[in-house]
Amino acid sequence: MKTSRKGLTVNQKYNITGWTFLLPAAILIFAMNFYPMIQALILSFKSGIGNNLKFNGLYNYSRLLEDRVFWTSFKNTFLYLLIQVPIMLALAIFLALLLNKKDLKCKGLFRTAIFLPCCTALVSYSIIFKTLFSFDGYINTVLLNLGIISSRINWLGQEETAKIVIIIALIWRWTGYNMVFYLAGLQNIDDSLYEAAKIDGAGSVKTFFKITMPLLRPTILLTTIMSINGTLQLFDESVNLTGGGPANSTLTMSHYIYKVSFEYNPQFGYAAAMSYIIFILVAVLSFIQMKVGDKR
Amino acid sequence: MKKKIVALLVSAVMTLSLLACGGGKETSGDSGDDSSKGQELTVWCWDAFNVDAMKKAGEIYTAKNPDVKINVVETVSADIQTLVQTYAMSNNLDALPDIFLMDDQVFAKYLQNYPEVFAELTNSGIPFSDFASAKVANSVRDGKNYGVPYDSNTVIACYRTDYLSEAGYTIKDLTDITWDQFITIGEDVLAKTGMPMLTNVQGEPDLLNMILQSAGISVFDEKGNISLVNNDGLVEAMNVYMELVEKGILQEQTDWSGYQGSINNGNVVGTINGSWICATIMSTDQAEQEGNWAVTNMPKLNDYPGATNYSAQGGSTWAIASSCDNYDLAVDFFKETWASSTEFYDSILTSLGAIATYLPAASSDAYNEVSAYFGNEAIYSKIVSFGGKIPTINKGIYWSEEKEALGVALANVMSGKLDLETAIKEAQSTVEFNIGM
Repeated sequence: MKTSRKGLTVNQKYNITGWTFLLPAAILIFAMNFYPMIQALILSFKSGIGNNLKFNGLYNYSRLLEDRVFWTSFKNTFLYLLIQVPIMLALAIFLALLLNKKDLKCKGLFRTAIFLPCCTALVSYSIIFKTLFSFDGYINTVLLNLGIISSRINWLGQEETAKIVIIIALIWRWTGYNMVFYLAGLQNIDDSLYEAAKIDGAGSVKTFFKITMPLLRPTILLTTIMSINGTLQLFDESVNLTGGGPANSTLTMSHYIYKVSFEYNPQFGYAAAMSYIIFILVAVLSFIQMKVGDKR
Repeated sequence: MKKKIVALLVSAVMTLSLLACGGGKETSGDSGDDSSKGQELTVWCWDAFNVDAMKKAGEIYTAKNPDVKINVVETVSADIQTLVQTYAMSNNLDALPDIFLMDDQVFAKYLQNYPEVFAELTNSGIPFSDFASAKVANSVRDGKNYGVPYDSNTVIACYRTDYLSEAGYTIKDLTDITWDQFITIGEDVLAKTGMPMLTNVQGEPDLLNMILQSAGISVFDEKGNISLVNNDGLVEAMNVYMELVEKGILQEQTDWSGYQGSINNGNVVGTINGSWICATIMSTDQAEQEGNWAVTNMPKLNDYPGATNYSAQGGSTWAIASSCDNYDLAVDFFKETWASSTEFYDSILTSLGAIATYLPAASSDAYNEVSAYFGNEAIYSKIVSFGGKIPTINKGIYWSEEKEALGVALANVMSGKLDLETAIKEAQSTVEFNIGM
C-alpha cells in the first residue's frame, strides 16, 4: 500500500469498519462450524474403536462400499427424498396460492394454523405420530370405526407402512414451513402482471405456469435445496418414530451414523467418513439444482 | 448520525452477549469446583426404582455422616452411556458425576473402550466376594474390579393367575415346562380368553437372547467372534420365537411404554423378563391386579441338550468415576451401605422390590417374606434360588451389534422377505463387519 500511515482513505476506513463488524461472526462460524468440519475430515481418515484411532488412509471410505446397512439407509433416505420432497413442495405451492387469494377471509388464522406444525419440536411430534399410528392408536381406531379397514394395521411394524408414516409425518411437519417462503415469493409478484394476463385472455392454469411459476423460480430453488439438505440429514423421525425399524427399513443415513458412534462399539472415524459422504451428496445435488434451476 | 448510533448499539449488544457467554462458562466452572470441594456425591441412575434405592442408601449414610450430601440425578440409561462416551472422547471427565449406574449388558464394552472413565476398586476394601460371582465378573477387567454389583438379572416368568384359571390352568401347569408345552397352553388360553400369553418390544430380541442363554447357547465363541451361522441352538430358538408371534401367543409392542402398558392395563396374561420387571408389574393403577400375579421359571428349549428353565436379562452395576475428587468418600459410602448393610437391602427389597446380588442379604428374613401382590408367595427367595441355576455363555463387547442384527433377522424372516438361513447369514456378516473395524 502506498498510502501514508497517518491518514486512511475513506474506502479503507469503510473496509476496516466492515471487517470489524464481520469479525465476531466470522470467528464464531470458523470456530463452531469450519474447525469441526476440518477435524471431522481428518477423523474420517482414521479408524479404530473409541479413542484408539490410527491413520488408515481411505480405509473408511472403501469400507463404506461393503456396508450393507449403510446402503439400506442410503436407499431409504433417497426414497424419502424422491417421494416426500415433490409432494410437500407441490402442496406448499398449492396452499400458498390459496392463502394468497385476495378475497379469502381469516387469512391470518389459516396461515398460522398451517405454519404451526413447524413450531413443534421434532422429537415431540415424532412421538405423537408414533402414538397416533400405534397398533391400538387413534388412526387405527378412526379408520376401523369408519369402516375403511376391517382389522387394525400394524403401521410401524411393516416396512412399507412404516415408510409411509414417516413420509406423512414429514409432510405434516414441513409443508407449512415451505409455504411461508412461497407466500413471500407470491407477494413479490406484481399484480399488474396478472391483470395484463387477464386482459390478454389467459386462464388461471396458464397464468400459473407462465407467470407464477417462472417468477417463483428462485424461491422454488431455495426450498428444494433446503428440503434436499434437510431430508439427507433426516434423524429425529427415524430415531423417535420408528427406531429405524422394522429390519432397518426406515433407517436414515444420519441415524446410522449415530448408531455407529453411540450404540455400537464407537467407530468415530467411520462415522465421520459417512458424514462426509452426506456432505458431498448435499453439495453435488445443490450444485445440480443451481445449474438446472437458476437461469437468471 | 442515526446509523452510527444504531451501529454502536448493535456492536455493544454483540460485545455484551459475547461477554455473557464467557461469563456463563466461568460461573458453571465455579459451581463444579464447589460441589467437589463440599462433601457431596452426585449419582446418575435411571428409573424411579433405582433412584429410590440410591436415595435410601443416601439417607442411611447421611444419618451417620450428616455433613455428606448424596445428590441423586435421574438420568436415562441410554443418556448415561452417551454422556460417558462423549465426555471420555472429549477428555472432559470432570463433567461426569461421582457415581453412575451402568447397564450390565454394556458395562464390559465401556470398560474396554473407555477404561479411563472408571475408578479401580480392587483394593478399595469393598468385599467383592460377598456379591454373586457371575455378576462381579461382569465389571472385572484384567483381574481388577471396576464396579459394585447391584440388581439381579435373574429371569422370571410372571403370569396373571386370574386369566389362567379362566382358561382352566394354574401356575403349576406353567412351571418347569418346555416351549412346546407352553405354545400348546398359550393357544388354548388365547382361544378361551382372547389374551396373548406374552408381550415383547418389536425388533428387540431380548426374549430370544433369554431363550438362548437358558439353553447355554452362545452366539459368540471363546475368542469373542460372532458365531450365528451353523448354530443349531439359534435356529431352534428363533423358530420358537417366530411360532410364538405367528400364533398370536406373543404380542409385539411398538416400544417400551407400549410394553409396560400392555402389562399394566391387563392386556396380556404375562411376561418373561429380568426379575426387575416386578417393579413394573406392581406399578399398575388397576387395583384388581393385586394378588393375581404369580412368579415361576421360564419354559425351556424343548429337548435341546443343556436346556434349562433359567436365564438372565438386564441388571446393572454401580461405577465410581475416575474423575471423582471424593474417591475415599465414595468408597466409604459403598462400604457402609451397598456392600455391608443387610438392613438396607431388606428395606429396598420390601419397599421397592429391588432384588440385589449381595449374598449376605439373601439369607435375611426379608427374602422369605411373602408378597401379597404375588399371591402371598415368597417370590424373592424363589428368584434367588433361580439365580444359581443360570447357564453361563460367552458374551462380549459386541452385544449391541449382535442384538440389533438378530432383531433385523427376525423381522426379515417374519415378514417373509428372507428365509431363516439367509437371514442368519446376513446377521452374521453384519456383526462381522462391525467387529472387523
